[in-house]
Amino acid sequence: MFKALKYFCIVILGLCIGMISALSMSGLIGNNTPANFSDVNVNNWRSDWSIGAPAASPYLRARIARHGLLALSKNEAVYLTRSVDDEDRKLNETCVYELSGTTQDAFWWSITLYDAQSRLPMNDGRALSIDATKISDAQDWSAIISPKRPTNSAKDNKHWVSSLAAGQFDLTMRIYRPSQAVLDAPETHINPPRIRRISCSDGGGT
Amino acid sequence: MKKLAIPFLIFSLAAIIGHWGALKLTPTVIMGKAMHQMNDKGMPFHRFVPSQRITPQTQTVVRPSPDLAYSICLYDFSIIDVPLEIHAGFWKDYGSISFFDEHTNNFATVRIDAKVSKILLSPHGMALPSNRKNGMQYIETPTPRGLILIRRLAPTSQAYDRVSQLANTDKCQPMFDL
Repeated sequence: MFKALKYFCIVILGLCIGMISALSMSGLIGNNTPANFSDVNVNNWRSDWSIGAPAASPYLRARIARHGLLALSKNEAVYLTRSVDDEDRKLNETCVYELSGTTQDAFWWSITLYDAQSRLPMNDGRALSIDATKISDAQDWSAIISPKRPTNSAKDNKHWVSSLAAGQFDLTMRIYRPSQAVLDAPETHINPPRIRRISCSDGGGT
Repeated sequence: MKKLAIPFLIFSLAAIIGHWGALKLTPTVIMGKAMHQMNDKGMPFHRFVPSQRITPQTQTVVRPSPDLAYSICLYDFSIIDVPLEIHAGFWKDYGSISFFDEHTNNFATVRIDAKVSKILLSPHGMALPSNRKNGMQYIETPTPRGLILIRRLAPTSQAYDRVSQLANTDKCQPMFDL
């Protein structure tokens, strides 16, 4: 009886440790965002080109189910996530950033801000993203990321993305119908937007 | 030392089974939970339901795009024994209709910004109706359950209103052999 109980406990312990290690390695537990895992890295904009594909590794499939359920496969769309500024500091609501870039070689693109739970932050700013249709100048653009709408953004021709209630956040760039060149050589054909920290209200994140 | 060998072997085997089991089951469990929640909130099977405009207050899945208008049709071939007929209205900006199985695989995507899409969806081995229309694209689902998602670019409230009108003409319905 004692022996059976001992083996039962060993099996349960083994199963639990196996499950916890799987969930940890696939980023489902712990302080992870999609940006922590990638096979494509363009200036800290990170992605995995096997998202949405049946050939994706089981770790990636578990991670995407948690952080990007219903993601499309790469021929239709690619998703790149960035969680740090140009100086590798975590993005945080307490700071103001300038996001700037140029166009992408694709049908359409957008950049959206998400909180640490992969949700749109709970605010009423109606400024959660910037996308190709909002850019009047087809080449260079810039946007301010801050909790409050900048007072002079219209005058400076800058867009606004609200980080109110986001806490520590990340940005996801969607590139829909990317060109074959983007898929073949993302490092040279994706134009990675820059994220410059302007100021912080509490001295800054890490 | 020998005394510990068998318990260690059992522990290792259980850990490997737990590890791979969790990995294999996670996408299916998350997808099943998402479909269950949608159904609980009133989304029926075998009909496209346009989502509300995506805002922080209306989001139901992780990382939705506030620039896209979504319509979802849940399907379950364990409760119907005929294929599904799917129509998605033409949208001049970005538009696609994508098919996901119950393990979260995106097994097919059809563009709807070039022409109206007419699709027949069924699992492997199901007899196709004789009255299917010419030009209908046939797609086979790898699993009996899953969901179909239409995305249309609608970054403004005006564009969203136009999509809403169009989305009412989308079809996802069982196709009976006449």
